Order: sequence, then structure tokens, then C-alpha cells
Amino acid sequence: MELKFEFVIYDDELDTFILDENIYTFTLDDEQAKTFEVLKDGELYLYNWFKDSKYFIDWIKAEVYPDAIGKKIAIATINDIAYLKFYFFKVTSADVFYDYFKELFGIIEESDWQDREEVGEEIIENLLVKRQELIIELKEEQEQEDE
Amino acid sequence: MDHKYLNKMLSEMDKDLASKGMTRREAMKLAGLTGAGMLMGATNAQASEEETKKAPTSATGKIVIVGGGLAGMSTAKRLTNMLTNPDITVIEPEELSVSYQPGQTLVAGGIWDIDDIKYKRDDYVPDGVKIIKDKVIDFHPQAKELTTVNGTLVKYDYLILATGMHLDFERIKGLEAAGRAMSSGNNSRLLKAMGDDGVTSIYTAEGAEKTWVEMQKYIEKAKNVKKGDKKIQFLFTHPSTPIKCGGAPKKIMYLTNARLKEAGVRDNAELTFYPNGGAMFGVPEYHDAIVGQFEREGFKWHYRHNLVEIDKENKIATFDAKWQEKGPYDPIMRDFEVFSKHEKVRVPYDFIHITPDAVAPREVGESDLGSAKGWVPVNKETLQHIRYPEVFSLGDVAQVPMGNTGGSVRKQYKVLCDNLVAKMQGKKLEAKYAGYTVCPLITSIGTVMLAEFDWTVKPVPSFPLDPTVERWIFWLMKVYALKPMTMIGMLKTGQA
Repeated sequence: MELKFEFVIYDDELDTFILDENIYTFTLDDEQAKTFEVLKDGELYLYNWFKDSKYFIDWIKAEVYPDAIGKKIAIATINDIAYLKFYFFKVTSADVFYDYFKELFGIIEESDWQDREEVGEEIIENLLVKRQELIIELKEEQEQEDE
Repeated sequence: MDHKYLNKMLSEMDKDLASKGMTRREAMKLAGLTGAGMLMGATNAQASEEETKKAPTSATGKIVIVGGGLAGMSTAKRLTNMLTNPDITVIEPEELSVSYQPGQTLVAGGIWDIDDIKYKRDDYVPDGVKIIKDKVIDFHPQAKELTTVNGTLVKYDYLILATGMHLDFERIKGLEAAGRAMSSGNNSRLLKAMGDDGVTSIYTAEGAEKTWVEMQKYIEKAKNVKKGDKKIQFLFTHPSTPIKCGGAPKKIMYLTNARLKEAGVRDNAELTFYPNGGAMFGVPEYHDAIVGQFEREGFKWHYRHNLVEIDKENKIATFDAKWQEKGPYDPIMRDFEVFSKHEKVRVPYDFIHITPDAVAPREVGESDLGSAKGWVPVNKETLQHIRYPEVFSLGDVAQVPMGNTGGSVRKQYKVLCDNLVAKMQGKKLEAKYAGYTVCPLITSIGTVMLAEFDWTVKPVPSFPLDPTVERWIFWLMKVYALKPMTMIGMLKTGQA
């Protein structure tokens, strides 16, 4: 089974993510494909499965970003599953992203009077933490366990 | 309310109850025995068990409560029940701090007199609790001490912030002279700034009394409207901040409507609601019910309008109206952006009811105890301050979503007392507030829709009845049962 991956690269100095517009193809073996089928609807579970898998990190270091030890990246998309909202959410982003993050972060609006901008700021505040959790730092020796 | 009207209401209620397999007698029994308790937040059997008196503990420590309103005084009373040697001090400058605020709507609607809601602080200070009749101006949480206006330095082991909120009338251009007000206390400055020509607000006791005077004045004017004349314009606002009882701005509109109908001049008036938000209520089920009521009563409404100016001379209200427009396509997010726009809208009025912005008291907001927005940042479940573990907060000043009603306080004060005592004993804080809020939404003289909800943003009805239906039985509770539950059950016994 083949999966198409896109990545974002984290710029420490600018404290921002830059989209790598290339698409990379990763091949799963049968066991991995079964796990993918189980996790594909659990957006962040799927993300963490890859993030914590040594074979996936090894593939990135070998084929996606060779000679990029010390680089900080994050997964932008896996086939049609997009994580872009985590890196590029703005207060002007579409309503669908507000609803997603309100649910994810358990943001209860004060009621009907709360401004969209105010909710957006609260989402961004929560995202500052979440983004750090999503970053994959490419090290010489990865600590991830093989799945 | 004549007999014919009452009989009609009773008949309607009987039909409603019959469809649920209940008689009126059974419903009244339920309401009389447990309804008020439920109304104030005891929603399940756990509540009655919770009331079973626990043996007081010998935990010690100096507890200071800043604020002697419903939240502060009820907490003081309950703590005296829970501690064998309580050392509690309440700091409260206002003589009428425990006045019954939920009754202000009824005063404004001409149903109660102002004397029905005025209560003296000193009659509600629990035995053994010290009172400092002063105002705190400075908090020093690192040193566990605070300073009052008169220069008294008060040290504490545990601090409870129950200061309430301030009403920010001065933010509205044209009402700068009103300053910031509180629901209780001397508000003559506010009343003077509002004048005597149709500018009203029920958010203070005297303001509620004046609202009734002004309402009658403009109902009289409606009687003189001739065919072809312009209708009398009644405007009602709802601001951009959390407020005390989110239903109150609508309650006064419904009561005005009822009084106009009673006078037979409803057709000579136009009632328009200007909420700053994009919905009538945060809970979709109640929103839909209210929209249905507004359509039925012929009300108009305009969402996302925030009152920014009152021109009393020309009787013009200016609103900042907001809307959203579809922006350009965002190729990275793969969706269209949304932009907020706004413009000033000038609306002529004859009578306007203003719900002011609510803000945290400056002395709290500007201290280390306040958040960026001024409110006290607490864990919304345990009510413990997020930075200072010996500090707790409840009521209007606590930064808890959807919790600015007496019903919320009734849940919060029990949680806070349990957790404070646990903290004093070095135990884990296990009591949790789940966000319960109740708003008895008066929809006419004789009917109330009992909006109960929590952080699930779903109705959590205490009765086996459709919660979106307006009922006379809930009106009876609002008018007769809630006050004793608050003034006796919470303030006098600390048990309700």
C-alpha cells in the first residue's frame, strides 16, 4: 500500500512553518497497512503512530530529507488527511476550522456574544502548545520504537 | 392578571401536563417540594445526598472572603457549617450587598416593589464571621495579604474572591458620566447620567424601579398614537461581554410586551432586540424556542449590533454592526477565508433598555490575581486559582464559562467549600463544577421557559417536561419559590 505524504518545515528563527510542496510516496507493508486502516479515521492517533515509528523516521532521513539532521518537520498531509490547519490556522480561516478546534480544545464560548476573533485567538494560543507536540525533530539516533 | 387570563393559563398548563401523564396537583407538589431546589441547581438525586450534613472538620487557617454578595456570604455560611473552628473574615463595603438581584426584572416589570429585593448585608453575616466594612484596593498574593481603602492590611492563609462584576456604562459614548456601577450600592451617578427620558437599565435596583416608571410613561405615549403616526420605538440591547443572567435583556423585553398588550396598545409600538452576538441563546434548542417566541410576538431583531453611543438629546442610539464576508481562497488551507466587517448604524428610539458591558473590578483585574481580561483565572472545575493554590473564586468575577447566575453560584459554592476544606487538610481537590446554569426566562406575565444547561451546551432539564415550552408553573417558582431558596436556603443556612 502506498501513501502520499506532504511535509512542513519548521523555521526556528521565524517560529513558523513552511510548506514543502513536494509529494513523497511511502510504501506500507501488509501489517502497517492493517494498522493504517484502523487508525486512518483517528486523525491525531494516525499522526502519532507515524511520528513514533522508527521505520517512518528512517524513511524521512533516508529519502525525504537526507543530510537534514537537526531539522524540525511535521506531517502536512497523509493522502487526503490534512494537518495543515494545525500549522496555518488564522483568525480569518474558514468556519469549519473554528468548529474543529473548538471541539478539539474544549473551548466553550461564553455564549452567543463572543467574537469570532476572540475564539480565534484562543485557538491560536492552544495551537502554540499543540504544534510543539507535532514537530518531528530529525536526530542522529531516533528514540522512537519500531511498530 | 385577571381571572380569565389565569384560567386560560391553567387550562393550557393542564393540557401540557396531561400529555406528560401528570396532573396539576402532582406538578405543583413536585414544584413545591423539590422544584425550587432543582431550579437553583440541584438536578439529581445526588443533590439530596449532598445535603446530608457532613461532620465538621478541625482544619484551620485564616480565610478571607472578598465580596459579601450572594456568592461570598453563602460561602461564608457553608464554611461555618463545615469547620469546627472557623476563622472567616468577609470584606464588603456595601450595606445592601445581599439584595436579591434576580428580582430586579420583576421590579422593572411592575410585579414587585423595590422593597421586595432589598436586604441588608449585616442581617446575613453568619455567626462567628468577622465583617470588615471596607473595600479592597490592592492584592499582594505573593505575601498572602491585601490592603483596604482605609489602609487596613489583612493577612490570609486562604483567599476567596467573590467581588462580583462591574457594569461598564462609561464605555458608552453619552453615558461617560455614569462611570462604572454595581448592581447594589449607591448608583445615583448612573441614574443622573441616564436622565428621565426613556433611557433605562434593570441592572441596578434603582435602575429597575426607574425602568418601570419609564415603561409606563411610554406605554401612555403609545396610547396616544393615531392611525398613520409613527409607532413608539422600544429598543433592547445585549452587549459584547459575559453578563449577569444572559436571559435578562430578553426578559425585560417580554415584560414590556406584556404590559403593552395589557394596555391594549401593542400595535402602536415596535419592539426591537439588538444582541451583539449571532444567536438568541448559546444552546441551540433554546435559541430555536426564543426565535419562535419572537416571531409569535412580532418582535424585530438585528444580530451583531453592539451599542456604542447614546444621543439623549436627539434620542438616537448608535450601534457598531458587524457582519462577515467571504474572503479570498486560501490555497494552503484549501478553503475560503472569512473577514469580519463593521459599520456604525444610527437608530432612533423612544424607550431604550441598556444591558451594559460587564467588567471585572479594576483592583482585581489589575492585580496578579486577574487574567488579561481582568477576571479571576480559575480551574473551571475546582474553582482554584491557576497560579495561587490558596486562592479560590466563584460567582461573576470567576473566569468560568456560562456561569453568571444565582443557579450557577448555588453549584459553585458547594464545590468551592469542599475543595477549600480539602486544601486545608492537604487532600486532593475532588469536587468538580460541571457548568450548570439556570435561566428562568420570563416570556410574559405568567409564563417562564426554564432554560437549564451546562458545558455540554445541551438542555439539562430538572423536570420531565419539554424544557423549551413556556409554563405557568415555572412562573410561580420564579416569583414565589426562588427568593426563599436563595435568601434562606443559601444565605441563612448554607445548605440549599
